[in-house]
Amino acid sequence: MIELRGCRKAFPGRDGQAPVVVLDGVDLTIRAQEFVCLLGPSGCGKTTLLKAIAGLVPLDEGEIRIDGRSVTGPGNDCAMVFQDFALLPWADVLSNVAFGLELRGVPRATREQRAQELLAAVGLGGFERHRPRQLSGGMQQRVGLARALAVDPKILLMDEPFGAVDAQTRRLLQEDLLALLDRTRKTVVFVTHSMAEALRLGDRVVLMTSRPGRVRDTIEVGLPRPRPPDIEKHPRFVELKDYLWQQLREMNA
Amino acid sequence: MNVPREYPAPSPIPSGSQRGLGSQIVTDVQGWVVQIDGAQHSWIALLAGLAVWEMAGRALHYNFLPPFSTVLRAALDLIASGQILGYLAASLVSLAIGYALAVSSGVLLGLLMGRYRWVEYIFDPYVSAFLAAPKIVFVPILYALFGLGRGTQVAIVFLNAFFVIVINTMGGIRNVDVSYVEMARVFGASEGQLFRKVLLPGALPLTMAGLRLGIGRGVKGMITGEMFIALFGLGALLRKYGGRFDSARVFAILLVVIGVALICSLAVRTLENRFTAWTEDGA
Repeated sequence: MIELRGCRKAFPGRDGQAPVVVLDGVDLTIRAQEFVCLLGPSGCGKTTLLKAIAGLVPLDEGEIRIDGRSVTGPGNDCAMVFQDFALLPWADVLSNVAFGLELRGVPRATREQRAQELLAAVGLGGFERHRPRQLSGGMQQRVGLARALAVDPKILLMDEPFGAVDAQTRRLLQEDLLALLDRTRKTVVFVTHSMAEALRLGDRVVLMTSRPGRVRDTIEVGLPRPRPPDIEKHPRFVELKDYLWQQLREMNA
Repeated sequence: MNVPREYPAPSPIPSGSQRGLGSQIVTDVQGWVVQIDGAQHSWIALLAGLAVWEMAGRALHYNFLPPFSTVLRAALDLIASGQILGYLAASLVSLAIGYALAVSSGVLLGLLMGRYRWVEYIFDPYVSAFLAAPKIVFVPILYALFGLGRGTQVAIVFLNAFFVIVINTMGGIRNVDVSYVEMARVFGASEGQLFRKVLLPGALPLTMAGLRLGIGRGVKGMITGEMFIALFGLGALLRKYGGRFDSARVFAILLVVIGVALICSLAVRTLENRFTAWTEDGA
């Protein structure tokens, strides 16, 4: 369970300008094994919040607790999937997937085996010795996903993970993600710009404003799980999407 | 809309007999050039250059341009009389020591300056200043400190190689994508792990480029320093024969020096290619 209370973060302005308030008093509770989507207009607030949960960014005010313990730095609870994949180009795919395990001192044989299993799970069996640049964007992100899952985290933080791939690949990756999470339930915090994506994936959608970043609204999605392939035609989906768009339009105005 | 099923026949490409002989020769040569290996290009260019040198040297009776064959004879003569080999061996040892010192301390400082801003702020003025300054001006000081021979040579090589290695290593660290660092930290990397598993591998291409530049500058610096002092080493020989206008011997020594520099550079380049195969332009 993740609790955020009164989170505030400002970044210093450029050349003597006023500081940019990126998070301005964010309160949020995320239940265990809940899939929460952070949705909002462009701006750094959502990503900053994600990094704060990960322990990468210290808050100016407020605190974040994971299962009651305050977050002071990166910990074993969280793993992250990045929009630009962040795969190490000098290492092969297997080593990339095993990277988190390597940092934790897991012996080579064990971690390579686990990495192998995960690569198969994301549909990349046989690509162990490839270099990241030999793979397409969608495949690279699968590697990123495999790497995050390899350390078996309680919490999966995903920063617009499918933003850098084409629309078709995006849909496929969404379906694969849901299938993977069906097998091992995790708490997921997922940042996105896409309303459809938020509704397709999430249990709950948190609408955030940008600059300053605040929670504007929270919506329980309440759509059936597992998601049927024609979920977009579900009346509640349509209704929620309209509602979200109304809100976003106002925020962008 | 009617799409024509048959397209008009293409106009005939002129056959050899219709084009001029000159253009035919050019096409043939181009075809042959494209076929042979890239490395062979270099050898052929080199041999062609030597051939031109030989012919030019014989044809034009300039004192400062002896034909290649004369230079070759002078080189063999120098080697036989033992003048070159003694100095060459001594220079190579100094080069090795000076370079090793420059690499070990230069890479270390470069890493620290790249990773920690405060280290950069402290050292950057000095590094930049020394990088820009002609190292030769320090040679008399070094000679006064270290005296005749080995010490001065090592110090000259060190000064010339050190700063370019620092700058390139620092640049290499800076160049590592910040997203790799963030990723590693999310997955729990300690500072040491960050260095070993992300920063060092990421900085390797630029660092190796720095090492390659360093060896080149080291050799050049050493020779010019020796020429300046004119008391020992191959540089001194160059001055001696230069003063006598013995261009054949000057060229001979120059070829030896260039040969050494090229071999060292090639060695570093081979290492560089091996370690940077993963970069995009390494394809």
